[in-house]
Amino acid sequence: MNVQNTDTAAEAVVANGLGKRFGQKKALDDLDLRLGQRGITAILGANGAGKTTFIRCVLGLTRHDTGSISVFGHAPGSAAARSRTGVMLQDADLPHLLTPREHLTLFASYYDRPLGVDQAIATCDLTDFADKRYKKLSGGQKRRTQFALSVIGQPSLLFLDEPTTGLDTDARRTLWQTVRNLADAGTAIVLTTHYLEEADALADRVVVIRDGKVLTDASTQTIRETVGGSLIRCVTTAALNSVSALDGVRSVRTEGRFTELLCHDAPAALRALFAIDPSPQDLTVSKPSLEEAIAGLATVTP
Amino acid sequence: MRWGRAFVNEAGAEVLKAWRAPEFLLPTMLMPVAFFTLFAVVVPGSSDSPAYLLATFGVFAVMGPAIFGFGVAVANERERGWLDIKRASPASGGLYIAAKLFATVFFGALSLALIYGVAAFVAGVSLPTGTWFAMMLVHLAGSVPFALIGLTLGFLLSANGAVAVSNIVFLALSALGGLWIPVFVFPIAMQRFATLLPSYHLSELALAIGVGGDRPSGLHAGVIAIMTAVLAALAAFAWKRQRG
Repeated sequence: MNVQNTDTAAEAVVANGLGKRFGQKKALDDLDLRLGQRGITAILGANGAGKTTFIRCVLGLTRHDTGSISVFGHAPGSAAARSRTGVMLQDADLPHLLTPREHLTLFASYYDRPLGVDQAIATCDLTDFADKRYKKLSGGQKRRTQFALSVIGQPSLLFLDEPTTGLDTDARRTLWQTVRNLADAGTAIVLTTHYLEEADALADRVVVIRDGKVLTDASTQTIRETVGGSLIRCVTTAALNSVSALDGVRSVRTEGRFTELLCHDAPAALRALFAIDPSPQDLTVSKPSLEEAIAGLATVTP
Repeated sequence: MRWGRAFVNEAGAEVLKAWRAPEFLLPTMLMPVAFFTLFAVVVPGSSDSPAYLLATFGVFAVMGPAIFGFGVAVANERERGWLDIKRASPASGGLYIAAKLFATVFFGALSLALIYGVAAFVAGVSLPTGTWFAMMLVHLAGSVPFALIGLTLGFLLSANGAVAVSNIVFLALSALGGLWIPVFVFPIAMQRFATLLPSYHLSELALAIGVGGDRPSGLHAGVIAIMTAVLAALAAFAWKRQRG
């Protein structure tokens, strides 16, 4: 069939010039992003950066104002797109009076080639509570049930919005393993997370969204190297551009009266800094937070 | 997706959810039979025969579960984000609405069983077998337009708003549709208004079957069919309209 051919050739998601406004606020501002048929992409960003709006637009839950989106070559929210998509949303509850097994049985019947319900229960580690009412489950058990629902249809494209919030360490590792197995089997996975550790453990690619735009799009390797560095913070009389040219410095920015140097080699950067300013004030050296690392990265890879 | 199987699962899930929360549906199912018993058995009026009361209270009996049991529940499911997952899944709005209608008819049947039981065994209503069944069928089918009204409100309003509005709608349909007091005692303007309400046409149709008199049953059935089609289109539109 023709449709089948375009399906298999099309990228999982192609978003061009995507714009969405809520009143005065621009949630998405000319956002471009392409996701291939394989691999795990982590989308990072502060609350309100546009991550969730982007995912809702791709799912067809929110209508974008400008630009275009296609999902495997189909319109977002179309039956063809939905039949190949699985989703675990951040703030979505399930009906309280049904059990995980009943939820899974219902969802399995929506798809053409679902996993067996028993298999999904075993894979997602729901065995202990599969026949308890959803209302009685712990927060982590609820998240695991939602995860199982997202994968029961064996989707080609899987969205996981903050999937491990509320999970303990063991449950988190089980979920990661399942996600990795799905990726190895050829599922394209889009993950939003606040945990750098999670992006690091799972993703091949990291996309940072800020103010509704793609700020950074880099391999996890690049992010990892950056975060592996150090942050030097001080008040210095040296000019900004001379500081940014120092050995070992990846990027520089000012924060009030402070100058912040993101470094991959802190000792080399300190020696070079002292050479141009022998007495910087209030000097500290620390590990950069994720946010600082990403802010630094943005200036490296525009 | 295999539609038959998906529908069986979806409808089963709806019935199960309502069955496991009897505190929501039971009051709406017990109130009509309580009123019917009061008026038909305890203090039988002079003008309205028990058969007349059965025809009108039968409409009342399916309306409660349809509007409250399912309309308000939908607003709740939407606010909790559950409908977002459904709308992102291959399940369609049509499947979801059809399953809700099935569950409404199911619980409407239970509600009717109570009131018909009291009518036959306590109030002494005696009708030919065919008439019993015809009237029951009208009542049962009547739960569909009410459920569609409930669903439309549930898709469009917040959970709190849906409770408030469906209460008003429920009371208006009951009182102004002539389920409590016959429409012919209303002023003429209110009698005209009643013809816009499905509750009026349903009770008139049930009365035509159970009591007879000068009632054009074909006209009422036609109006109900048209109203149901319009309400179904409205519910489908409301399903699509509920986007962020």
